Amino acid sequence: MKRVLPGFGLSLGCTIVYLSLLVLLPLSGLAFKSSSLDWSQLWAIASGERALASYRVTFGASLLAALINALFGLIVAWVLVRYRFPGKRLVDSLVDLPFALPTAVAGITLATLYAGNGWVGRHLEPLGIKVAFTPLGIVVALTFISLPFVVRTLQPVIEDIEPEIEEAAATLGASRLQTFMRVILPGVFPALLTGSTLAFSRAVGEYGSVIFIAGNMPLISEITPLLIISKLEQYDVVGATALAGVMLVISFALLLGVNALQWWAANRHHGKHAVSL
Amino acid sequence: MANAEPRWLRYTLTAIALAFLFLFLALPLLAVFAEAFAGGGSAFFAALADPEALSAIGLTLFIAIFVLPFNVAIGICAAWAIAKFDFRGKSLLITLIDLPFAVSPVVVGLVFLLIFGAQGLFGQWLSAHDIKIVFALPGMVLVTLFITFPFVARELIPLMQAQGKDEEEAAISLGATGWQMFLRVTLPNIKWGLLYGVILANARAMGEFGAVSVVSGHIRGQTNTLPLHVEILYNEYNAVGAFASASVLALLALVTLVAKTLVEWQMRRETEMLDTALLPEKVNQESGIPS
Amino acid sequence: MSIQICGVGKKFGNFVALDNIELDIPTGELVALLGPSGCGKTTLLRIIAGMETADSGHVKFAGEEATHLHARERQVGFVFQHYALFRHMSVFENVAFGLRVKPRSERPPEAEIRRRVMDLLKLVQLDWLAERFPSQLSGGQRQRIALARALAVEPKVLLLDEPFGALDTKVRKELRRWLRRLHDEMHISSVFVTHDQEEALEVADRVVVMNQGRVEQIGTPDEVYSNPASPFVYQFLGNVNVFHSRLHGHWADVGRDVAGDGAAKTPADGEAMAFVRPHDIDIERGPVVGGLEATVQDVHAIGPLVRVELAHDSELIEVELTRERATVLELNKGQRVWLKPRQVKVFSVAEAALEEHGSGI
Repeated sequence: MKRVLPGFGLSLGCTIVYLSLLVLLPLSGLAFKSSSLDWSQLWAIASGERALASYRVTFGASLLAALINALFGLIVAWVLVRYRFPGKRLVDSLVDLPFALPTAVAGITLATLYAGNGWVGRHLEPLGIKVAFTPLGIVVALTFISLPFVVRTLQPVIEDIEPEIEEAAATLGASRLQTFMRVILPGVFPALLTGSTLAFSRAVGEYGSVIFIAGNMPLISEITPLLIISKLEQYDVVGATALAGVMLVISFALLLGVNALQWWAANRHHGKHAVSL
Repeated sequence: MANAEPRWLRYTLTAIALAFLFLFLALPLLAVFAEAFAGGGSAFFAALADPEALSAIGLTLFIAIFVLPFNVAIGICAAWAIAKFDFRGKSLLITLIDLPFAVSPVVVGLVFLLIFGAQGLFGQWLSAHDIKIVFALPGMVLVTLFITFPFVARELIPLMQAQGKDEEEAAISLGATGWQMFLRVTLPNIKWGLLYGVILANARAMGEFGAVSVVSGHIRGQTNTLPLHVEILYNEYNAVGAFASASVLALLALVTLVAKTLVEWQMRRETEMLDTALLPEKVNQESGIPS
Repeated sequence: MSIQICGVGKKFGNFVALDNIELDIPTGELVALLGPSGCGKTTLLRIIAGMETADSGHVKFAGEEATHLHARERQVGFVFQHYALFRHMSVFENVAFGLRVKPRSERPPEAEIRRRVMDLLKLVQLDWLAERFPSQLSGGQRQRIALARALAVEPKVLLLDEPFGALDTKVRKELRRWLRRLHDEMHISSVFVTHDQEEALEVADRVVVMNQGRVEQIGTPDEVYSNPASPFVYQFLGNVNVFHSRLHGHWADVGRDVAGDGAAKTPADGEAMAFVRPHDIDIERGPVVGGLEATVQDVHAIGPLVRVELAHDSELIEVELTRERATVLELNKGQRVWLKPRQVKVFSVAEAALEEHGSGI
């Protein structure tokens, strides 16, 4: 078919070639490598004690970080959209810091802050709370790096809430809390879920910021990406490949999950509408 | 007003939000600079003047400058095809563009190792021809290309979709060639979005740690980028040196944030101008037609 | 330049946008493509412009094959529905665009470009806005800049997609008179798309009524209004009362008497529908031969007209009278009167059902 606007074949062709060479080919290389290995051997590595412990640490800490961000991200997004206070624009810009700051810098800084003699750790130590070089430190690092996701996903959605809806709820006799719980929260929930899933997905794969603060004790505070690296350093390519395969499958699942969530958020009102008709 | 919380609640929520952001964002940022200057200004500058630090800065800049043109070109290509045309498999393509964001940087490094490493798919062929990709600059460039691939495209796709095809079609119907249409109509319309994507991609390219770390080989003065240099110094308990280099990267982050905010304001201003412009006209005296 | 459209068809997936369209547009005419949304009128316009490719059929300009010419080679001026002005260029640069992108050998010198652009801006009476940007203009001004831009390349044909659609009523009326005058001055073959029958009837030399991808009727505004070729055209152009002859065979007979040409097509009684415009019905206070008895339900004075709603059996009939006539009649609610049509058109039920199905009107 002839198209009026030029460059369709060229642009799509370039994109597909580039994507295939740079992204798909390397990723399929991993699949190829794993398939040349013995499945039972792969399974033994991927379900070994140290591997299982690393999944627990990685996913547990990521989940905790995502939950912390869901709660505080909701508050931050709400405050940034709805309230006025001096320095708001500065604060708003600062939210993106974790996207801009290299993870290694974040890692050494957080480790220094939360160490026993650091600015924060100094005050926590007497209370018996150790953060740096414990699993708690991993949660702190992951909370930092995934902080912008929830805020940035929620902000436009909260901006789009029509004031009339809240006013309508108020005129119908709802208290502010009822309005929030029954009218506002259901409206922003898909975005909150999407943002939290994005945060979780980012946290699961994170490496740079965690390794400095985690202490990296096998079975206790060792994350899966670090385990992959240490296998590589021991020239155990097979072991690293097996673990990377697990990580990759989970990444795909999370990516599909995020897409499904976004599709759901975009379509659920149409769906309801159709049913009510 | 119906949409206002009581004053005490507004203050409480604002205080919680600010405390959270202070603890997690402002404090680390301050700490970087405080630690960098903990040994005094001269120690700071001595750490940066170190040849290894300088070579790391140079390598980081080189990789970013090399990678960005690719991101721009392919980002525009992808966004052009996706935003202006309909074709089968479009949503699959959009998902694939997002893929590099979803994969752990360590896994990214590993897959390039599996392909180009000594025991990799092309390993034997490469060593037979004396081409070094992993544990050398080409590998570091490749993983950075992989990691930064989505930024420009993701920024441009929604922007170009929102702008529609009308202006480009108008240009063509007025006799413009494809190239003239692109340079005179499309590019001026997307320039801020493009810049925004480039800023984000640049920050990531300069700051990437995990993926680059796997394929770099950590050869001092040769394949060490600034983030890797920070790690080495930190692990050698050279805190001042590590934080001096880290403060350069933190400064870069701040520049990124400022540039990003400025571009955002510019984009917001343009959309607001368009929004107000699209209001239906109320007064017709302006139309100025003598009847 | 004349335009011939021969057997043009276009499908989007399963949706038939255009079905075997035949259309001749003579040189210098101003033609309206009129129809409800989704009838294919914009698709047809875009095919003439070369922005869309037809699945079948040919487009000829001045008798010469143009089907495979690219949009940029067709020498067609296209005015987009939402104007599609280049938002980052000044008004002047927008109008100059078509001249500036010409190959170097054909490109006029800068002074010439300046002169031509300013002439065009004067033509659309907006030369004082040359340095403004599109976002600083009102809708009506943007519309005229879009027109000036399209005219800058001296097109052989001018195509306008819903040219007044995004404007409010008053500006729209002024602009369409202005477009008519402009067309009379320039005398360039022009086609515009509209869903507004008043617009089409007022501005165009000829109206092409379209529905569901087909041409229903082609004719002068007077022809399509006074002598609609199909029930669809009848209903689309203005209000109409529809009588089912199973109930009102009587009126179908009246129709045959009044509308002589319709009689030939009129099928047997019991299968026909009679169409009468509200202003083609007269009201009498006393019984008349061939009249239909009805009860006055409501009387509204609307500007120069008086609209009377009447009930006949269970059906509602609308009649429009002049104020003078209404004063003479002195109608009251509940009053019994007799209706007499001046003009009736009769179509077979099968014909009408086919037209009504899915037309969404």
